[in-house]
Amino acid sequence: MISSPLSAPAPVVNGPLLEAVSLSRVYRRGHESVEALRDVTLSIGAGEFVVLAGPSGSGKSTLLNLMGGLDRPDTGDVRFAGRSIGHAPEGERIALRRHQLGFIFQAFNLVPVLSAFENVEYGLWLAGMPRAERRERVERALESVGLGGRMSHRPDHLSGGERQRVALARALVHAPRAVLADEPTASLDSGTGAAIVSLLVELNRTQGTTFLVATHDAAIADRAPRVVRLADGRIIADERRRA
Amino acid sequence: MLVLVALRNLSRNRRRTALSVLVIAFGTAGVLLTLGFVRYSFAGLSGAIIQGGLGHLEIAPRADTEQAAGLMDRSGIPPGLDDWRTLRDVVEGRAGVLAAGAAIQFAGVATNGDRSGAVLGVGIEPDRVRRMGMTVKVRSGNRLPDTPPAAGDDRVLLGLGLARTLDAAPGDVIVLMGATADGTLNALDLTVAGVFTSGFQDLDARLVQVHVATAGRLLATDKASSLIVTLNDTNTTAQVAADLEQAVSGFPVPLSVVDWETRAPFYRQVRGLYVGVFLFLGSIIGVLVLLSISNTLLMSVLERVREFGTLLAIGTSRAQLAGLMVLEALWLAVLGSLVGGVITLALSVVINTLQIEMPPPPAAVDPITLSLLIRPSDFLWMALFMATLLVLAAVPPMLRVLRLQVVEALGHV
Repeated sequence: MISSPLSAPAPVVNGPLLEAVSLSRVYRRGHESVEALRDVTLSIGAGEFVVLAGPSGSGKSTLLNLMGGLDRPDTGDVRFAGRSIGHAPEGERIALRRHQLGFIFQAFNLVPVLSAFENVEYGLWLAGMPRAERRERVERALESVGLGGRMSHRPDHLSGGERQRVALARALVHAPRAVLADEPTASLDSGTGAAIVSLLVELNRTQGTTFLVATHDAAIADRAPRVVRLADGRIIADERRRA
Repeated sequence: MLVLVALRNLSRNRRRTALSVLVIAFGTAGVLLTLGFVRYSFAGLSGAIIQGGLGHLEIAPRADTEQAAGLMDRSGIPPGLDDWRTLRDVVEGRAGVLAAGAAIQFAGVATNGDRSGAVLGVGIEPDRVRRMGMTVKVRSGNRLPDTPPAAGDDRVLLGLGLARTLDAAPGDVIVLMGATADGTLNALDLTVAGVFTSGFQDLDARLVQVHVATAGRLLATDKASSLIVTLNDTNTTAQVAADLEQAVSGFPVPLSVVDWETRAPFYRQVRGLYVGVFLFLGSIIGVLVLLSISNTLLMSVLERVREFGTLLAIGTSRAQLAGLMVLEALWLAVLGSLVGGVITLALSVVINTLQIEMPPPPAAVDPITLSLLIRPSDFLWMALFMATLLVLAAVPPMLRVLRLQVVEALGHV
């Protein structure tokens, strides 16, 4: 099992939970290179609900990937609870993703050969949790997203909205400090998307989980207390509003 | 949990999995059936050698053993084993010994007056030969009588080829000439009791068998060339040989105990050839299985790049993903070995029941029956071999997985 300081519950910090410090990321393919992020600095406090908005190619997903420890910046750093993760060893980054973060993807990205229950359980198994405790937490997580009666169904027997709810339960079951979602409603119809957004907002409000959501969806942006707008790899606006 | 995921992953593309399982199964069956045939051939050959006259062990004067070229044929050496009856009683009293009998080897000439031929002769104790479980394949006529023949009533068994050369049949009388221990030429009139085969054409052209008393009369000696010993179990040969070495160490003439494999070096040569053929065939099957399964696993990885990206993103380590590939390969090995085992069992039962006759091998007289000798442990070893092979097959897909970049994998279409 991978163990690192990031396996333990994140200490309560007075400063921001997630920070991007002068982040730059350039993608190279052959002789071509694309500057996806340019000197981006962003600070997100614990319990915040932040939307990254902007057109395609603006750098939303790149920023999300870097802040989730999925990618490494070319320059600058990412900090989680004050600890640098941008250039941390692979083991530490895995521990961070396993214990402190949750991920939601546009295409749900469930494991097709596992049931809804097993998809949600997988992360807890990775964390080394005992079976009985896993069962209890998975059942609670699936019930909290309204799928208490669909636990044994495999993804191909679930609707798009149900799959995204399973993905949401998977992202939340290990009680992460932050959930990073990349276009979580893009593959859903507007009604289902709205329901998912309501669920995210509700979980943020009731459980205090930090959400960082990259989206085109104006409905999400409209309901978010903070919207960070990007264009051409730069932050062009950081709007805060009252809930 | 990875074990479960690995097993479930095999159900994604059932046709491909079924094909992979069949490749492994037929590879398993191919190797096991070949092994069964090779082992049966070894058992048949060793049985033919042991029961054909060599026995498991030979006890002979050490000097004679050292002189004997090739260790099978001591016909050119005058018999030197004195008091062999006492020795035989001592040997038969030892644990693991089935029976023992004297043998007198000699060279000479057989003639019917018109035709003659050089012969290799052996004097035996027919009753002992029977107790030793040795087979004398008599094609016509009778076996040699158990009781020592009276002078003038000597009988002979002629090898198949020699009988043809002499145009002799049971009941005919031939003259057998040989040199006595002091070098004098001696001759005996012998009635042909029967015609037999040793199983080998070359030997049948020259071989004669007589009672040990007849051989003693021809060579004018009471001594034997050696004592042939058969055992209850071939697997105890080395152990009993060591015991007999000690038991006969007190005899006035220094004796040596030689096992059948040492006396029949061609057995090792044939065994080496068969093992070589088996390994060659096994290697080809192994390489085919390795390449086929490696390609299948690699294809399966390429189809799941995005899923692997997701698993990495949510905290799966690369080592765990590599482990997943190994587990999938091992599941294939388990399923393939099971199916292969069933195919092997079914085919071996059918083949052993049908008693298919094969043409005689080169230089042999009799056709052989196609039969398979497969042990239960072979299935286990084969499953382990396949598991090892499939873990190797999982290496290229594992390397592919280990090189995956999370973000690129998540974006893979």
